[in-house]
Amino acid sequence: MIKHLPLAWQRIRRSPYQALAAVSIMTMSLFLGSVFFLLAAGSQAVLTYFETRPQVNAFFKSDLVPTPQAVDLIKTNLQATNLVADVKYISKEEALKLYKELNKSDPLLLEAVTANMLPASIEVSAKNPADLKPIAELLKVQPDIDDVRFAEDIVSQLAKWTSSVRLIGFSLVGSHLIITFIIILLIISIKVANRRDEIVLHELLGATSGYISTPFVWEGIIYGVTGAFIAWGVSYLILLYSTPFLAGFLAGIPILPVSLWFMFSLLGGELLLGAVIGAVGGFLAVRRFLKV
Amino acid sequence: MISAQKLTKKFGNILALDAVSFDIAPGEFVFLTGPSGSGKTTVLRLIMRDLKPDAGKLVLFGPAKIHEYRRTIGTVFQDFKLLLDRNVYENTALPLEIMGAAAVDIDKAVKKALELMGLTARTDLFPAQLSGGELQRAALARAIVARPKLILADEPTGNLDPKTARAIVNLLTTLHSQLQTTIIMATHNADIVNHLDRRVISLDAGKVIKDTPKGKYD
Ligand SMILES: Nc1ncnc2c1ncn2[C@@H]1O[C@H](COP(=O)(O)OP(=O)(O)O)[C@@H](O)[C@H]1O
Ligand SMILES: [Mg+2]
Repeated sequence: MIKHLPLAWQRIRRSPYQALAAVSIMTMSLFLGSVFFLLAAGSQAVLTYFETRPQVNAFFKSDLVPTPQAVDLIKTNLQATNLVADVKYISKEEALKLYKELNKSDPLLLEAVTANMLPASIEVSAKNPADLKPIAELLKVQPDIDDVRFAEDIVSQLAKWTSSVRLIGFSLVGSHLIITFIIILLIISIKVANRRDEIVLHELLGATSGYISTPFVWEGIIYGVTGAFIAWGVSYLILLYSTPFLAGFLAGIPILPVSLWFMFSLLGGELLLGAVIGAVGGFLAVRRFLKV
Repeated sequence: MISAQKLTKKFGNILALDAVSFDIAPGEFVFLTGPSGSGKTTVLRLIMRDLKPDAGKLVLFGPAKIHEYRRTIGTVFQDFKLLLDRNVYENTALPLEIMGAAAVDIDKAVKKALELMGLTARTDLFPAQLSGGELQRAALARAIVARPKLILADEPTGNLDPKTARAIVNLLTTLHSQLQTTIIMATHNADIVNHLDRRVISLDAGKVIKDTPKGKYD
């Protein structure tokens, strides 16, 4: 049935405005789909990152340079709980180094900061994410500790955000896809109606319903595939363009740059979605007019 | 080939056919005559399975699947049904295209059919550019291009001058005698019917009023 493809293309070229409308709405919906998919995947990746790194950071008072003895004492206390996988002391100088590394693209931020302004800290990795709380409680009561942070807050915040992204994305993209389907159905229905005489004649001359409907199905597929390519291309460009900015924002969380493989699977998914919507739209449009 | 027993067809309140019976053997040449509105087109549409009878029985020979069955029939429609956006060549090629014939075979058959119909010089013209007689011949070319076993011709001499009409009927009789094609021709052209001495089934107001082997038009 591939031989009907040129015919479908020819018919599309004969009514460029209908084609424009069909491709625009398809592009619009699949672009939204791209954006929300990337957002959802991104926030999920960030969430996973935090979930798989059960860490507690305890910051010393920032005007204080802790003595090795003080640090050792805290380390010993932590080891005694048996909940801890690793303990790392980060001095003011190391903190500055990390800070510089994270903000190397921003000289203004670099100039303003000295080692003195940054607190020394202790980074504790738990054996089990569930033990973060007791470890945090223990750290809070150690001498000279000013502030204790651990990922639980971030994780629960992120989990909320991820699920709302999914929900909003799903309903928004879903409703757009339904509207797209209806518009494709409408546009191809107009074309089918214009070709009613031809369809009747084809039937009388012994055409199968497949022979009659295939060009319209191809037409829908062409709209879907074109929309998918444009939507994917635009969203990829935007992503590439904003990667440096996002990488700064996601300081140290290694999800960028997005791999080519991932982007190609996204393209594959969108092509499939667009093609299916177009094909079903074309098929239903022509089916109503078939007698045999 | 075709056996109709008490065929009845209604369109709403209109009784288009009223208990029509006839049998047509393979290789027959049959005129279907009668005044306008007598039911000729309806009979042909039933035979091509475009309509279903409301009562009675219609036995047709050929494949059970509608599309396969129709491929064995060549039809000249009363209103031609030529596609306006395709030229004579493309219109004629349509039945073979639909069957999925190979391009070379299509080309050969189309050229032959157009030659037979005297349309060789008109292959690139579109229906809007053709005269009445040429339209009729183009419709006939399309009907014969796939070498059907049965030709249904619905007033194929409808609005033609006597000479062109005679030429068209001669083509049909030639096909009939050379290829043993069964031909059913609806007409109210008395001159032709009387000239040919063939079987005539006469309809009036949806009834068969006469069925004579070597009939005359009256
Ligand atoms: N599709 C239709 N809807 C309603 N009435 C129809 C339809 N087709 C035919 N008729 C009626 O059926 C009768 C027979 O029509 P038809 O078979 O076309 O006659 P003929 O071909 O002999 O002129 C006519 O009265 C016509 O008005
Ligand atoms: Mg008629």
